[in-house]
Amino acid sequence: MKLLTVAEMALRELSRRRGVLVLLLALPLLCYVVRHGQVGQSIRFLMLGLAWAVSTAALFASGTSRHIEPRLRLSGYRSHHLYLGRLVAMWLLGLAVATPFFTLVALDHGGEVRLGALAAAMALGVAVAAPFGLLIGALVPRELEGTLILLLTISLQVMIDPADSITRLTPFWSSREIGTYAVDHTGPEYLARGVLFTVVATALVAILSTIRLRTRLHLRYAGR
Amino acid sequence: MIDERWLQALGQELARHRLTPEMARHVVAEAAAHLRDSGQPALRAFGTPQRYAAAVAESLASRHHPARRPPGRVRLRASQITKRYGRRTVLRPTDLTVRAGEVAAIVGANGCGKSTFLRICAGLLSPDSGEVVVDGVLGYCPQDGGTYDFLLPEEHFVLVGAGRGLDRARSRRLGRADAATLQWEPAGGVQARHLSGGTRQKLNLVMAALGDPDVLLLDEPYQGFDRGTYIDFWQHVWRWRDEGRAIVVVTHLLNQLDQVDQVLDLTPGSREVAA
Amino acid sequence: MDQERRGQWLRGVLDVCVLALLARRESYGYELAQALDRAGLGQIQGGTLYPVLLRLQRTGLVAAHWREGEAGPARKYYRLTPSGEEAVRRLSTEWRAFAGRVDALLMEEVTSP
Repeated sequence: MKLLTVAEMALRELSRRRGVLVLLLALPLLCYVVRHGQVGQSIRFLMLGLAWAVSTAALFASGTSRHIEPRLRLSGYRSHHLYLGRLVAMWLLGLAVATPFFTLVALDHGGEVRLGALAAAMALGVAVAAPFGLLIGALVPRELEGTLILLLTISLQVMIDPADSITRLTPFWSSREIGTYAVDHTGPEYLARGVLFTVVATALVAILSTIRLRTRLHLRYAGR
Repeated sequence: MIDERWLQALGQELARHRLTPEMARHVVAEAAAHLRDSGQPALRAFGTPQRYAAAVAESLASRHHPARRPPGRVRLRASQITKRYGRRTVLRPTDLTVRAGEVAAIVGANGCGKSTFLRICAGLLSPDSGEVVVDGVLGYCPQDGGTYDFLLPEEHFVLVGAGRGLDRARSRRLGRADAATLQWEPAGGVQARHLSGGTRQKLNLVMAALGDPDVLLLDEPYQGFDRGTYIDFWQHVWRWRDEGRAIVVVTHLLNQLDQVDQVLDLTPGSREVAA
Repeated sequence: MDQERRGQWLRGVLDVCVLALLARRESYGYELAQALDRAGLGQIQGGTLYPVLLRLQRTGLVAAHWREGEAGPARKYYRLTPSGEEAVRRLSTEWRAFAGRVDALLMEEVTSP
């Protein structure tokens, strides 16, 4: 119940920020259109754009909550209600945004790609992007700095040669690779790595949030 | 006529000072009669409605405050709280004990650690040493901030209420009722970012008090309040006290200090807790 | 006389003067103000007078009731209670003693070289 309330409010809040909504829709679209000539490239860029947009939305969501979460803790929420609620909201948002793009690609290149894999890739991309954005938000005090870090991550993602082993460390690599799998029909181990990355990012967010919102040791409730 | 408005304002001010409607009527009628007889303008004969109402309220003071309940059990006990930021000692060992039905005021010059101390008591900040024991549910209202720009006031109520285990309808109802006592009616679709500073603080205050916490920690919550709301706020504080809550208010405005139960002065050099 | 000084002195004795006036007969606010003015104490504003009356009422020295006027609106009339009468007697004695001492002090000042 508490978790759902947090999630609902996070979604309500974000849905009123028109700038963020525009970003969520326009950025991936732009990425897709820019490389529209080549199927593989356009899809990969779309995925990257989608991941970037969802991360940024998650970053903003954690930014506005920063000062209120301590109060919410006092009101009776536990840390996990707060970050899981927000995470669920961001996942839902990401999926909602990914759906029209999936449809777009299906209409555009339906015959050439593995649609099932594509859907999985998009879902995974969203699954990774949301906790990643929340993680940046938890680590960095200001949204501007967080946005720069995200920008840096995306740039690295784009610039790194996929053959280079370092690419495996970049957060959106897995979804990129699944995109490759979907488009170029390569092997399924990329899926496993994507899932692993999601789990790791979520765990880190959980840990960081719990630390920040912990019940301070000096405060004791009588009779408990 | 100007005197008509003056008399009307007087009526409102007397209500603010918690005079019974009957008493207020008498005072206004007498003033009106005096103005008629003397032919003087109201401002000359009585001064501003606020001043006159305050003088009347003071004259009637002991008759209108109900006998204060003896303070109940200890709701908040802070012992030997210290805090330093780097080399700077912000709080020297400080104690505060507040019982149910008591109001404590924390005063001191700017920068002497009032907000820090309150946040430590609320459990939002860790002290370098010392302990805080709280008996009951805590509510905290910051000086500013603490609200979501893009959410509606009612959504804030629901959010806080859910934390306290209240269902939505109840949260909204309680929130609106509390808001009304501060002369605020949250209008339908207005997001918090579109509220004026003072109104946002009202939202903050309502959020802190929602669900009837046993201990209320208020950090100068009246920023941006107009004079009337400021008085309403203190009336609220006294009412909470009568209901048996423990309240701690950080303030640097001194005019209510004769009515609080304890004053903790954090200015370096004056370490007493005066009653 | 300096206005501020007059105000200070008046603040100390206004309630006693009002009690004394009410000892003669019951009266309402504006009438009392006029009487004080006639007695040479200057114009007492309503903002000063009525709180005093309320305080006297609160401490039980004075009681009030509303009376319909024949010509005009209803007015609140004040009269002394028994404890009020006793207070007037006591306060006049105390005032005479007090003022006498102040007098003696000032006379000494004036006559000594």
